[in-house]
Amino acid sequence: MVAVDRHPIRLVVTDGFERSRLTVFFRLLLAIPHLFWLSAWSFGALVVAVVAWVVTLAKGRLPVPLHDFFVQYVRYTTHVYAYVYLAADPYPGFTGAPGYPVDVEIDPPAAQRRWRTALRGLLAFPALLLGSALAGVGPGSGSSSQIAGASAAAFLGWFACLAQGRMPQGFRNLVAYALRYLAQASGYLFFLTDRYPDADPAVDLPGAQPEHPVRLAVAEDLRRSRLTVFFRLLLAFPHLLWVTLWWLAALLAVVASWAATLVRGRSPAALHRFLAAYVRYSTHVSAFLYLVANPFPGFTGAAGSYPLDIEIDPPDRQLRWMVALRPVLAVPALVVSSALGSALGLVGLFGWFAALVTGRMPRGLARLGAFILRYSAQTSAYLCLLTDRYPHSGPEGGEEPALAALEPSLPVAA
Amino acid sequence: MWALAAWLLWRSRVPEDLVLPHLDVRDLFTAVELDRAARYERFARIDWILATAALLVALTIYARRGPGLVRESAAGRIGTGMLLGMLGFGVVWLAQLPFGVAELWWDRRHDVTNQGYAEFLLGNWIGLGVEFLFICLAIVIVMALAGWLRDRWWLLGGPAFVALALLFAFVQPWLVPGLEPLRDPALSARARELARTEGVEGIPVRVEEVGTVTSSPNAWAAGLGPSRKVVLWDTLLDGRFPDDEVAVVLAHEFGHHARHHIWKDVAWYALFALPGAYLIALATRRRGGMFEPTAVPLSLLVLTVLQLAAQPVQNVISRHLEAEADWVALETTHDPDAARGLFTGFSSTALADPSPPTWSYVLLDGHPTLAQRLAMVEAWQDR
Repeated sequence: MVAVDRHPIRLVVTDGFERSRLTVFFRLLLAIPHLFWLSAWSFGALVVAVVAWVVTLAKGRLPVPLHDFFVQYVRYTTHVYAYVYLAADPYPGFTGAPGYPVDVEIDPPAAQRRWRTALRGLLAFPALLLGSALAGVGPGSGSSSQIAGASAAAFLGWFACLAQGRMPQGFRNLVAYALRYLAQASGYLFFLTDRYPDADPAVDLPGAQPEHPVRLAVAEDLRRSRLTVFFRLLLAFPHLLWVTLWWLAALLAVVASWAATLVRGRSPAALHRFLAAYVRYSTHVSAFLYLVANPFPGFTGAAGSYPLDIEIDPPDRQLRWMVALRPVLAVPALVVSSALGSALGLVGLFGWFAALVTGRMPRGLARLGAFILRYSAQTSAYLCLLTDRYPHSGPEGGEEPALAALEPSLPVAA
Repeated sequence: MWALAAWLLWRSRVPEDLVLPHLDVRDLFTAVELDRAARYERFARIDWILATAALLVALTIYARRGPGLVRESAAGRIGTGMLLGMLGFGVVWLAQLPFGVAELWWDRRHDVTNQGYAEFLLGNWIGLGVEFLFICLAIVIVMALAGWLRDRWWLLGGPAFVALALLFAFVQPWLVPGLEPLRDPALSARARELARTEGVEGIPVRVEEVGTVTSSPNAWAAGLGPSRKVVLWDTLLDGRFPDDEVAVVLAHEFGHHARHHIWKDVAWYALFALPGAYLIALATRRRGGMFEPTAVPLSLLVLTVLQLAAQPVQNVISRHLEAEADWVALETTHDPDAARGLFTGFSSTALADPSPPTWSYVLLDGHPTLAQRLAMVEAWQDR
């Protein structure tokens, strides 16, 4: 049975995680013919898009031949980048035929609203920008434009594949999510649908979040006060000042905790509490700043005090060699976290405009923001020795609302 | 006690028996200058009246509806108070913005400024951010004290704000970025000599670059003890004012330091802070007092009303101090011609109305009018 609100462009992942080390090693070189072909096809698609725009505007629907052309193009783009980014292993075909392990499924042509068609280029711009921040490629460009989440995952995944012969699940799913969003953005630009891309990272991805000692708890409430949205950046000033001061103290605490954990094999409870509060607080502040959550956060990082909270397990035993090498081991996670940062910035920017106009944060953007904040919190927790479990970069399973949606904001504590 | 303190602070070097001669501004300024300055300031006054009315309306509405914004906070009692305080400033900013833009348009039309609209808005935005931080600090102090002393928070709140004012007065010269040393060797030597004469040797003179924003001339004295400075706007040094006139300005600003006006400013503030804090505590009692964050919007309205009510008195004090600095400058430079030239020049360069309407003088003017300043020059010369 088909869900009523499912997006007309969906991701289908049937990939296992095994990778051939030989093809991984030469992956970029092997992809060169595809990248050439994709560039030529992209140019053709842009030319045809002008015709498609006029026809769709006139008829209110994209004709089947044009629809099929763009379906193949979007599918082919997905295949190529899935291959380049190591989200799939087999060498893709050159026609965009269905059946690749990371594929997209696209509904047949449907009626489209003309005003949306008329303004398509303009309306698609934010989605293309976000797609570019996530996947590192702009539709039609066929070239990498910036360090994005998927690019970082692919880069790090390359080393992992060479070492283990497997693509880590988190990296694979992060790439798959970025490609799904990119496919939806391209499909929107090329008139395959007038449904806006859905930024919700959990959709279409198989599997669930693995158990982790650092978890996100979200009481999803998408309502936003326009007044606090308008002044959001300025309202965050005192928090930004406070979090900076706290960061300085946390830095000293991390050094102390590192030395103690190295000796005892377990981080001291007091330092664990302090650093956990810091990680929670900085997440609250980011959630507020980027409009992922609504209320003005408290200044103490108290557990359970904010609708988007981080749950952190008590201190547990940690392997000493992992503690000793923690600053080095954390580098890949920091790279991914920083690459996702630009997407978080766009979540805040687009969310700001959307919330000002509608008084609500778009659900997809809110969930994307929550995913990035969860990853960032896990990275900080790892770096702060709150756990030795590595951050999980995959968005599969989503950041499930822990409390009922649209629950009122927390009451003011006395 | 209060009256005694006020009397002590009121003492001035300007002779008590000094009688300013009546001057007809038409004899001192051309009809064109008078007309231009009057036209310029008329608009500014109307803009001020409208902006003030908008401010009061916005704050009244906010005082009524602001408490509802408590639901937008998960920050506890004090954090919520901070949020409501910042939002109050935000509302005020929004209400005042059109009048600020109108004023900018008017200033640009009269070549008083060449600041762009985007630059104005951006600068305003950053300034608002700084204001947000200050209001947060103030609310933390008040609400923390209210948590301890409840309705008697003002007993310590007043002194706490005085301490903050003192701290601010001390650090203020370091908060202004981009102050440059005075490059002109002759003027620097003159400044040193003037400072020595007034007994405030060693106070550095700095130049603030404002020429890209405004053409109005100005200068200011700030700081306490080791942070004392005299700052000249670069618009004073662009060739429109001869060195003798700039020396009068320097002597005036050194006069502020010589007569301890910054200390006196803080002291006057102290005299008003305690009763002001008490009145706020009294007015917010029905909302649960400053212990409750819901009282914050009302406290902003009360504070604004009190400031407006106190403005005429503050202006009297400010004019009194400025007049003393003028007198000290005349005593130091012994150059009434330069002083006369300087004050006359302000009419054409800053478009200052030499003889504003009484209500405007009472409510808005922190300096003596140009006519009064010129009259003081005459009076000094006659002695």
